[in-house]
Amino acid sequence: MEVRKNNKIDETVYTEVLDNGMKIIVIPKKNTAKKYIIWATKFGSIDNHFIEPKSNKEIEVPDGVAHYLEHKMFENENGVDSLYTLMALGLDANAYTTNDHTAFLFAGTENFYEGLDELMEYVQKPYFTDENVEKERGIIGQEIGRYDDEPDWKLYINTMDCLYKINPVKLDIAGTVESISKITKEVLYSCYNTFYHPSNMIMCISGDFEPEKIIEEVKKRLYPKEKIDEIKRIYPEEIKGINKKEKVAKMGISMPTFMIGYKDELDEDKMKVNIAVEIILNSLFGKSSKVYQDLYKEGLLMSELDLSYEFSNTYAHVLISGESKDPRKVYERIQEVIKNETINNEDFERSKKKLYGDYVSEYNDVENIGRMYLSDAIKGINSMEYIEKMDEVNLEYVNNILDKLFKKNESVISIVE
Amino acid sequence: MENNIINTKGFKTNLYAIFLSVPMNEKEVTLNSMIPAVLRRGTKDLPTQQDINKKLEEMYGASFNCGVDKMGDYQVLKFYMEILNDKYLPEKQNPIEFLKNIVFNPLVENDGFKKEYVDQEKENIKKIIESRQDNKSQYSFDRCIEEMFEGEPYGIYKYGKIEDLEKINEKNLYEHYKKLLQSARIDCFSCGENIEKIDISIDNKNDLKNELSEHSIKNKEIKEKMDVSQGKLIIGLVVPKGPKSVISVYNTILGGGANSKLFQNVREKASLAYTVSSSYIRRKNVIFIKTGIETSNYEKTLDIIKKQLEEIKNGNVSDDEFNSAKELLTASLRLMNESQESLIGYYFDQKLYEENLNLDEYIKNIEKVSKEDVINIAKDVSLDTIYFLNGQERNN
Repeated sequence: MEVRKNNKIDETVYTEVLDNGMKIIVIPKKNTAKKYIIWATKFGSIDNHFIEPKSNKEIEVPDGVAHYLEHKMFENENGVDSLYTLMALGLDANAYTTNDHTAFLFAGTENFYEGLDELMEYVQKPYFTDENVEKERGIIGQEIGRYDDEPDWKLYINTMDCLYKINPVKLDIAGTVESISKITKEVLYSCYNTFYHPSNMIMCISGDFEPEKIIEEVKKRLYPKEKIDEIKRIYPEEIKGINKKEKVAKMGISMPTFMIGYKDELDEDKMKVNIAVEIILNSLFGKSSKVYQDLYKEGLLMSELDLSYEFSNTYAHVLISGESKDPRKVYERIQEVIKNETINNEDFERSKKKLYGDYVSEYNDVENIGRMYLSDAIKGINSMEYIEKMDEVNLEYVNNILDKLFKKNESVISIVE
Repeated sequence: MENNIINTKGFKTNLYAIFLSVPMNEKEVTLNSMIPAVLRRGTKDLPTQQDINKKLEEMYGASFNCGVDKMGDYQVLKFYMEILNDKYLPEKQNPIEFLKNIVFNPLVENDGFKKEYVDQEKENIKKIIESRQDNKSQYSFDRCIEEMFEGEPYGIYKYGKIEDLEKINEKNLYEHYKKLLQSARIDCFSCGENIEKIDISIDNKNDLKNELSEHSIKNKEIKEKMDVSQGKLIIGLVVPKGPKSVISVYNTILGGGANSKLFQNVREKASLAYTVSSSYIRRKNVIFIKTGIETSNYEKTLDIIKKQLEEIKNGNVSDDEFNSAKELLTASLRLMNESQESLIGYYFDQKLYEENLNLDEYIKNIEKVSKEDVINIAKDVSLDTIYFLNGQERNN
């Protein structure tokens, strides 16, 4: 077991890789009654083309299958929905699908082990029939319809379309009404058997636990599985450079929203880039920046900009988004700042203090902890690295990233109006 | 004035809050909603937003938040400050002073707020009100409340009205602010480990009493058209004034999670919706049902929902449904201990409505509820307002 401790923030993380290849991460937290568990498979909306390990056959599946599978995992032979069972135990249970993973989780103060029984059973025991697969089509159709009405989602997916030429991150996670019409029981089983193998899965647990004991409890509940070879995923090779400069969607909203993106094609330590980008964004465009204050005074911004850096194994990008009556004007000003500014020492030090506070605050809640460790682990990162690497990031490095990732890079903009 | 301390362990942060509560009324709603917007722009010591935000970042990413809310018949101005606990702060900080300065020491020029700030915030509130329709789910919910509580305090939109804004200027808003400090109810909360009380030395003489306005049944059915691909259906139900523990259980059986009648019948059995739920507004004795459906399925969905109300009335609640609802409800209440914001929210509501039950007592009351209690109360639940925001019918 790998043990990683940080004295500054008084936290320790335990990581164990089981014989079957499954990774378990435990982050113990005293003085809390709440417990959280999240179990994920590295199977997301972008994994629609792969080689099935058993048959060695190349398979292409319809868009939205990972998400459809997530919905159907709750189905059981006795007809009782596992979500129902978990909620009846007083547990707050849920599941979600992103572009690179599907996760099943619950949180609660009581009945944790009963919940663990149920969670580990339903994830390991699929039960798909023609009828229950058919029944879900209408529900997911409504879910897709709900996203169609959400300006925020449209804004995001259009930004991805601007940044990427081929990468399936630009596709809707749930697919389309058309693509899900092709999903059958057979497709679901094929994906399940490929991707829901322990060697492709990660579990994170946070709460008042003894690491060794809780890992034993998990091991007891795992079904024996044959070893499989590594899953070969076929991703289309992304072409360098952006796809298009701009995409505008008309949704009849009174206050337009915009999202500016920079594609990160640098070959660097992503965690360090992440920290540097956060410092850059906060210094140049955060609430304490000059341009934010100016834009606010001029009525071009009403609330702070959303600043983020997203990365996975197949993509990485910077996003700056907000609401404005004149998004193009804001875009111009942001580009001016990028062109003319560098980060000074005062902004650098202050931004680092803020990053430290934001990071430590994540440990307030077992749910945040579990989610953070899981999404980092999917990318092959231990979240503790963030605080460890913070000291390695100096002003020179930050300005170097500013130069390469922003100044010498092309940006895109998506607008919803 | 109430200065409360809530002790918690296991958090990395401390949370401080100041609440100013006034009765919701048509005349002053917009003036009140302008106050937090202007106060957060600058204090005597930190006269610009940039100064404020730099200070917060220097305090290791402390966060300050404020806004306006509706709690029963009160309009509440809320001010929050979250900061790392001393244990994790490399240098000691003074968050209470910061928060007090924002609320009580604003930037004043010529016996008024700074004109520039007031003008900009008027523009911002105007935009907030104008862009209400952008979030269709929230908008349809707000609209149902407005229709159901038309002419009553609870029907007033918390940000106020555009036409009021013209009359507001830096002078009369400042006058209003001074009056507000005297007449509003003020509650302070400190939540965390080894924390200090927020002491306030102002002359406040509020004599607010807790009198809930009466609601008259509306029997409305309203359909509004808008460009949406999914119709939003909101239904307002009137429920008895108490006992609130019983109604909470009733609400959870009806629409509180995956085991509820609504989720099982509207979503799982009929596949009509992805989301369907109900929420209980304890301080207004009302339950709202919310769902998103195809426009063409309106009648069908309404029938299924009405049938669920009948089912509970007729006593068709299985032990399973009843027990799991109670379990879900008590579990979610216990989870409040895990969030400082929830804890402050819970205790503030208890103080405001003079119930003063601690969380454990409140949970015990829920545990005592029997199935018969729920079925009895179901007889007194009645449909009040049906609101449907719909688009074109789709042919697929």
